[in-house]
Amino acid sequence: MLPDETLVYDLKRDKAHCLNPTAALVWSHCDGETPVSEMAALLETELGVPADDSVVWMALDRLGRENLLEGPVELPGEAARYSRREMMKTLGRVAGLTLLLPAVSSIVAPLAAQAGSCIPQVTCTSFVVPPNCTGLPICENPKKCCRTQGKKCRAKNC
Amino acid sequence: MRTDTAGLFERVSDLLPPGWKPAGTADVKRLYSVIEGGPGDRPGVRRYSMLYANTVRVSRTMSLDEVLAIFESELALYVAERARRRVFVQAGVVGWQGKAILIPGSTLRGKTSLVAALLRAGATYYSDEYAVLDERGRVHPFPRPLSIREKEGAPSTKRPAAELGAQTGIKPIPVGLVAVTHYKKGARFRPRRQTEGRAVLELLAHTVPARRKPRRAFATLSRAVSGVPVLEGARGEADRTASALIERLDALV
Repeated sequence: MLPDETLVYDLKRDKAHCLNPTAALVWSHCDGETPVSEMAALLETELGVPADDSVVWMALDRLGRENLLEGPVELPGEAARYSRREMMKTLGRVAGLTLLLPAVSSIVAPLAAQAGSCIPQVTCTSFVVPPNCTGLPICENPKKCCRTQGKKCRAKNC
Repeated sequence: MRTDTAGLFERVSDLLPPGWKPAGTADVKRLYSVIEGGPGDRPGVRRYSMLYANTVRVSRTMSLDEVLAIFESELALYVAERARRRVFVQAGVVGWQGKAILIPGSTLRGKTSLVAALLRAGATYYSDEYAVLDERGRVHPFPRPLSIREKEGAPSTKRPAAELGAQTGIKPIPVGLVAVTHYKKGARFRPRRQTEGRAVLELLAHTVPARRKPRRAFATLSRAVSGVPVLEGARGEADRTASALIERLDALV
């Protein structure tokens, strides 16, 4: 937990997420009981975001896409139309408000080898077994990684 | 570790991670065996050089240098993934006025050339490969010789920091600035400031034990970047970027 953001690690998918205050507040109230209108009111009280259900639906949409909710989110017809850009047009005219639109940044956590240093192609070829040939980047070609292929390791696209 | 020839043991010892010391117990968690190849007993026969980790054959090649290079990176990665009290992040690190400049990034993103430029500008060397963070978020030195590539795609050569006129850091220091940047020809370094959360994600993307110990990685990285400016953007020439980073840090210090 950071002062202004919330970090979440999905152990099942090995994905890390950073939720901005709006997305975090909605996420923390996703208990299956709090209605959207109540969340919208909370957003206004706690963060100064205009009490608009569409902001909450947008947050739910973002959270759902990143599998941060237990079940799928079915957006009401009207809310489904809102993109972040449209939302910025309608709500973001107030200075600084666009920063408060729900945002979820995500990355896939790297394998240990992917976060290690690169190796030359010849080195990759001299590996004989996994796990050494599963993902080390090839120095000469940063788009390629040392991967298992048959008995020996070969460069493949990362 | 063990070798099949006495002379080889010294070469292998030189490849151990910085700060290594003899084990206090006889308990062996991982055994590396380096076997030197060369001419065989019969004419026209050559033996492979090989590396084993415990009973698993890691590498088999005609080149001993290759086996030693694999041993070095394999061992560093093993330590980086399993260190109990440290979190290893792939990053270049230099010290300036008692604060660390952290440059996370994978290989071939121009990390080393920026570290070298910072050293030429008077910074203290901490690491070219891993930022080693403790639970308080401070950076410890991991001062291996810099792996410098003279041109793109060329194999790297090892150069000690002293050759660049730099001193090597000894004590752990707090992070003062994080620069998420990569080389882009002709680019001008005009970075955007990132939030702490985005910075943690960026560092996590280069954290070796990210999957093995996500909770500890998150906690350590959050402490490391707490209240620290995080700059993100493409850069051009390393020397100019180094000056810009030092200026920023000077203003903060």
